[in-house]
Amino acid sequence: MKKALITAAVLALGLPAFAQQQQEAKPLVPGREALAIPYEKYTLPNGLEVLLAQDKKLPVVAVNVWYHVGAYNEQPGRTGFAHLFEHMMFQGSKHVPDDVHIAMLEQLGANDLNGTTNFDRTNYFETVPTNHLATALWLESDRMGFLLDALDEKKLRTQQEVVKNERRQGVETRPYGLAQEKLWKALFPAPHPYHGKVIGSMEDLDAANVEDVKGFFRTWYAPSNATLAVVGDFDPQEARALIEKYFGTLPGGPKPEKPKVAPVKLTGEKVIRHDEQVGTLPQVTMAWLTPPYFTGEDATADVLANALGTGKSSRLYKRLVLEKGLAQSVSATQQSLGAQSVFFIEATARPGVSSDALAKELDAVLEEVRRGGMTQQELDRARTRFETQMLAGLQSVGGFGGKADALQSYNHYTGDPGYLDEDLERYDSVTADRVRDFARDYLKPDARVVLHAVPAQKGPISAAKETH
Amino acid sequence: MRRLFLALSVLALAAGCKTAPEPVPEAPKPPETPAPPPEDPNAFRQQPPKPGEPPELVLPKFEQARLDNGLTVLVSTRKELPLVYTGVAFAAGGSQDPKGKWGLADVSYKMLLEGAAGKDTTALDQAFQDLGVSPSVSVSPDGAFVGARVLKRHADAALALLSDVTRKPNLAQKDFDRRKKLQLAELVRAMGSPGFLAQQAYLDAVFGPEHPYGHPVSGLPATVDTLTLQDVKAFYGKSVGPKAAALVMTGDITLEEAVGLAKKYFGDWKSNAQPPPVPPTPAATPRQQVVFVPKPGLDQTMIVVGRPGIAVGHPDEYALDLATTVFGGFFGSRLNMNLREDKGYSYGAGASADARLGVGPLTASSAVRKDVTGPALGEFFGEMKGIQERPITEKELAAAREGLIRAIPGEFESVEGLGSSAASLFFLRRPMDEYARTVEGLEKATPAEVQRVAEAYLGPAAMQVVLVGDPAVIQEQVGPLNLGKLVAKEPVAPPSKK
Repeated sequence: MKKALITAAVLALGLPAFAQQQQEAKPLVPGREALAIPYEKYTLPNGLEVLLAQDKKLPVVAVNVWYHVGAYNEQPGRTGFAHLFEHMMFQGSKHVPDDVHIAMLEQLGANDLNGTTNFDRTNYFETVPTNHLATALWLESDRMGFLLDALDEKKLRTQQEVVKNERRQGVETRPYGLAQEKLWKALFPAPHPYHGKVIGSMEDLDAANVEDVKGFFRTWYAPSNATLAVVGDFDPQEARALIEKYFGTLPGGPKPEKPKVAPVKLTGEKVIRHDEQVGTLPQVTMAWLTPPYFTGEDATADVLANALGTGKSSRLYKRLVLEKGLAQSVSATQQSLGAQSVFFIEATARPGVSSDALAKELDAVLEEVRRGGMTQQELDRARTRFETQMLAGLQSVGGFGGKADALQSYNHYTGDPGYLDEDLERYDSVTADRVRDFARDYLKPDARVVLHAVPAQKGPISAAKETH
Repeated sequence: MRRLFLALSVLALAAGCKTAPEPVPEAPKPPETPAPPPEDPNAFRQQPPKPGEPPELVLPKFEQARLDNGLTVLVSTRKELPLVYTGVAFAAGGSQDPKGKWGLADVSYKMLLEGAAGKDTTALDQAFQDLGVSPSVSVSPDGAFVGARVLKRHADAALALLSDVTRKPNLAQKDFDRRKKLQLAELVRAMGSPGFLAQQAYLDAVFGPEHPYGHPVSGLPATVDTLTLQDVKAFYGKSVGPKAAALVMTGDITLEEAVGLAKKYFGDWKSNAQPPPVPPTPAATPRQQVVFVPKPGLDQTMIVVGRPGIAVGHPDEYALDLATTVFGGFFGSRLNMNLREDKGYSYGAGASADARLGVGPLTASSAVRKDVTGPALGEFFGEMKGIQERPITEKELAAAREGLIRAIPGEFESVEGLGSSAASLFFLRRPMDEYARTVEGLEKATPAEVQRVAEAYLGPAAMQVVLVGDPAVIQEQVGPLNLGKLVAKEPVAPPSKK
């Protein structure tokens, strides 16, 4: 690397120097070397964080931008706005013609091309053949810097309709979709920003206007509130030069303040009975509030969820499906989130079985865990699964949950893109006793929301009577 | 095996060195647009950057061997990570369900994971869990696959288990009884899904109930209800054996290693099971009616339009691939840009030609807002007519061609992706250089061919129409379109308990 030359050039240009971390991947414990992700992190003068990680397995490169804004940052009366805004980011900007962003990338052979919004962040990504890195950076930088130049009312109106259709598909016409929305609302009472679903309500989607889009962009879409990751087969010098060219020249602004939200505490058991119109089998879901992502017992919750619900030998499947024959399917999930996580247990009934009968069995399984925790074998299996899954996640340079997302996620939640090592340590440190204590302290029967989604008995889709 | 090292400078990262981005003007590529006028420092953004030299097109590499007993061994080596995806692909899929016994293949293959070699359901699952995996079984019309992704160090143990599952399934009565109940309940659950209702009615409309592809792989309540353990054992005996199966291994494994493992665990496997015949070619008949499944009050209408398409290996395959990509394959396709981006009728609309072992379906579909059911269906037909009225342009064709070809390398990042492609090659009885042939076929298809094939396959006359949605809305909005007589098809009721 011709360091001297580059430094001289910088001085000549009078650019401010900036701090930069260069990371060798931290040494991982033997047998885990494959999990290392060597990367570099630096920050441009306008505040944009950049992550670079080379992976020369295939002649492709992933460009992945995280904006540190999600449904968490929405205003009351504007639920679903972060996601609606994400749609606007594909509609064209000052130098990129209307609505060609995706088509342009498709026709040069891009894969894994999308944008996603969740409660905590919004991301945009594409994996392109190596020779099109500049094209991807040009597209991403134009919408970061010049979105509002091409914004108009008509585009917004069309995307409001598209997003409402997305909601109909994912909520109104999806089995248990509306029921799950009720559950989120009960878990996080308004005005908490996790109240409801990320996609928002129909009313609020209709209420959004062009001024909202402008305000949201100016506040949250500043380079200082974004992180750009480039992962794959690229030349670092060339990538840095391109990033400087396309992103370094975007005007900076202060990093916006993250809103403070008081944590929610459930002080009793809330039971919801939902008259299910789409799904045909009764379903029960139990939900508890648990510690935020990467804090406290979040990893313990993850291990417990994984052990309770994975495979036919898991406790939930074994009891409810194999032995009792009451459930059609079971699952347990720790949904890790920035403000507060949610631990879910869900069971879907066989025809003719009530959701109450399932709830009783779920409680019996939970009571066992509260008293006795888990076996070492269950722990070991869960850990092997995590390790295999993590490794598998690193196979793709981009896309949803690939290597770029892994670096971004660690960076977003902990400030350290190289947190994978600590992340694994979290799982290593989980013990059977900690699982027991977690279940006892957090999965309380009197501090939870229980949702019963009960299908209307009607017409041709009535369930066959089963005797048990 | 291939690993790619492009001639790019690999720069060692030195911890703690301070560097800064290079200034741009001297950058050798991408070439600059003409000098910007001083008043707009962003003029360089007006044109997309010129791409560099395209990298070598890296296609996935598959190798195969055959054991003396007829078992195929299929391998794709990828050594970067210590992961191996391994599984057994079976040549008989849902298309081989006997008449009246739809769902038999699906239930039979699921039975393999309900216990084997004396281990019961739980013990078998625990043995897999010890390797950090939950095995999965997937059944398609043309085949089935039971497999798992494991760390390299567990590959041998995983194969031992897969061998038990494949060769020594318990096929116990109590497990079958439970599995059958689960399948029936799964069908009750599926009846709540507009997508499943549409699929069931669509396969019936395009292929008819007599055709091997004319039913969902899961079966229907009335057909699953008739299944017995004897049926499963008969299906297993007829369909599962080394001449009708392939051991697939992808990832950190070589052909030589895989053959060694195959011999160790499957070398003495004997059975007379043979691969099934290719399903017959269905007739593409003119549309007589519009079928709808009534779901009163549903907020969206599922629209599925299609006809018999093409079998894998047909001379029109690549031209049709290009035509359907322009019509409805990409986000930027005519259909999606019209229904989603221009009109806001839908979250997305798409089309694809599913080239199967036999002639598979050519399908266009979308879920649309209830109140625009009629106009949206009108746009589907408008776009089909549009293929003739507004022929595929050179620009559209070039975009589809380049997009499809250049996306191939990036589609094979994972060992699972390589594994499922290897299984597909086996199901569809394709040569190992299929991807090279695909690229060649896509490159060589001429504009005239693509237009001819587009008109031949995407013409509106032979397109069957299936809708799922609110019956009142469908009657009111679809009736006047004169697409054929509206015929309601109720979802099939589960049979009463015997």
